[in-house]
Amino acid sequence: MPKRRDILAIVLIVLPWTLLITVWHQSAIAPLLAIRKGKREGRREAGQGADSKEYCSSDKDIVEVVRTEYVYTRPPPWSDVLPTIHVVTPTYSRPVQKAELTRLANTFLHVPNLHWILVEDAQRRTPLVSRLLRETGLNYTHLNVETPRNYKLRGDARDPRIPRGTMQRNLALRWLRETFSPNSTQPGIVYFADDDNTYSLELFEEMRSTRKVSVWPVAFVGGLRYESPKVNAAGKVYGWKTVFDPHRPFAIDMAGFAVNLRLILFKPQAYFKLRGVKGGYQESSLLRELVTLNDLEPKAANCTKILVWHTRTEKPVLVNEGKKGFTDPNVEI
Amino acid sequence: MRLKLKLKTVFILYFTVSLLGLIYALMQLGQRCDCTEHDLAKDRTISRLREKLHSLLEQTKKAEPTKPLKPPLPTIYVITPTYARLVQKAELTRLSHTFLLVPQLHWIVVEDSPHRTGLVSEFLSHSGLAFTHLHVATPHERKLQEGDPSWLKPRGAEQRNEGLRWLRENIRSQEGGVIYFADDDNTYSLQLFEEMRWTQRVSVWPVGLVGGMRYERPIVEQGHVVRFHTGWRPSRPFPLDMAGFAVSLRLVLANPEARFDGDAPMGFLESSFLQSLVTMEELEPKADLCTKVLVWHTRTEKPKMKREEAMQKQGLGSDPAVEV
Repeated sequence: MPKRRDILAIVLIVLPWTLLITVWHQSAIAPLLAIRKGKREGRREAGQGADSKEYCSSDKDIVEVVRTEYVYTRPPPWSDVLPTIHVVTPTYSRPVQKAELTRLANTFLHVPNLHWILVEDAQRRTPLVSRLLRETGLNYTHLNVETPRNYKLRGDARDPRIPRGTMQRNLALRWLRETFSPNSTQPGIVYFADDDNTYSLELFEEMRSTRKVSVWPVAFVGGLRYESPKVNAAGKVYGWKTVFDPHRPFAIDMAGFAVNLRLILFKPQAYFKLRGVKGGYQESSLLRELVTLNDLEPKAANCTKILVWHTRTEKPVLVNEGKKGFTDPNVEI
Repeated sequence: MRLKLKLKTVFILYFTVSLLGLIYALMQLGQRCDCTEHDLAKDRTISRLREKLHSLLEQTKKAEPTKPLKPPLPTIYVITPTYARLVQKAELTRLSHTFLLVPQLHWIVVEDSPHRTGLVSEFLSHSGLAFTHLHVATPHERKLQEGDPSWLKPRGAEQRNEGLRWLRENIRSQEGGVIYFADDDNTYSLQLFEEMRWTQRVSVWPVGLVGGMRYERPIVEQGHVVRFHTGWRPSRPFPLDMAGFAVSLRLVLANPEARFDGDAPMGFLESSFLQSLVTMEELEPKADLCTKVLVWHTRTEKPKMKREEAMQKQGLGSDPAVEV
């Protein structure tokens, strides 16, 4: 006659073992199911559940094959490891706007982990830009702020004392500070890209490793073939190779530097100065609040390669439009 | 009594071990497990095959096709005349970014130069595109001189003809395809290339920012082009811009004499080519019956080099070894 104590003992022994075995069995099946699911769905959503190391390289193949069937291609799949590049582009309505934004988007479609912050100099977000952004498939944020008329450039008059795009860039900085907290671990780089410049794809990979502020040469600025920071043998920036006022604290063009997002968030008071800024000092007005000359990181092979060109697009001559306009204004250009 | 005690401790020990094991297993459940342990042979072969496929794709991309495979899509042959100037590399760079997004595109770059330049050769080899690098120098009397306005002489005629010559000598007509003349400073949307891909003879569409207007376009009635909406010399046989039409490869190969006339009067360059190929009625209107602008005739400013020139006079010019 088995004693109660014995039964209890047997139960106490058997129970945990059965639980153990069932649980172990379950955990053995689950990753296999995840692998199978990953094969079918892991194409566009990379790195979700299962370890997709072996699938990351193949993801690119599959996306490339799919690409040929689409009219509009998609940007490269988002990676969990690459820092995001937040590109701030101020823009304003003029005949070449759609063209400029189109070819800029065609460049950005090749850059992984790119977040385009497009800020319109307008009272309201225009449907032209909204539609364009949506159709590109890029990861974007569409903002707008209108420059008050007394700060705006009138027509073509190039008054260097009024920097263009300042309010728009500052709005983007404010948006970044409101969206990202300094404690978040999301790495990011902020780059100010005007809509008429030309950017090589290599540039974005160079700036991705920015720790504080990185700098590189820019072509066609300052009346020279290119302007560049002076880098000494130790790899530190000690001056500026420019003709136009090389004694500026940061004699560099807007397209010639990138800032780590963390630095932007840690110094929430740093903005581009709006008033009383001399021509060519706009970049300095922001950078001097963020970093010193010593902290600058030279990129592009120690500032010897040109990876960005300060191209400017001619204003199209619309003489044949006449006073009333010859072409149908409903056709968007 | 002693025996009983021993058994009890054994049981307790056994129980604690089991319990610890159970807790460990439950902890493991929440973690991402190391899947390589559970990798079945099938998965391993799949990943190996995928790697092989990837490397094969890379190889086919790089290798010159000796026996061209029949592509599912007709190839778009883009002929771009180019010439050395400060913004050349920048223009070609951003143009290549657009072309990289277009499937089945073959870029024919023709330099206005007596020989291939290092800048363009290196650029093309790193671009990632399928390309052909040609060159032909414009004869001196046809060339624009310093200070000439850009519209004085037609540009790029010899280079485009050279591109056509290469196509006639190297591509067989059964392959299908369409030819597009794309200047290196214009802006092209991706949709444009899909519109032109299935051209049977000559297709046309609007072009933005050209002819002194917001856009120029063919007027379409009942699916056919009846006239052209342009602000400048609408009496031309084909008052279009170079960027506003594409020709099917078959048509060009069937008309070996069709070429651009470098001596044609201003604005008649396109007509000199199209006249021998097609009539206005045969034109195929694209871009929503020519109501959408998918290409813009942008022009890039010449960068101001006053300071550079001043520096060079002093012998302090920027390092010419740095390619711009």
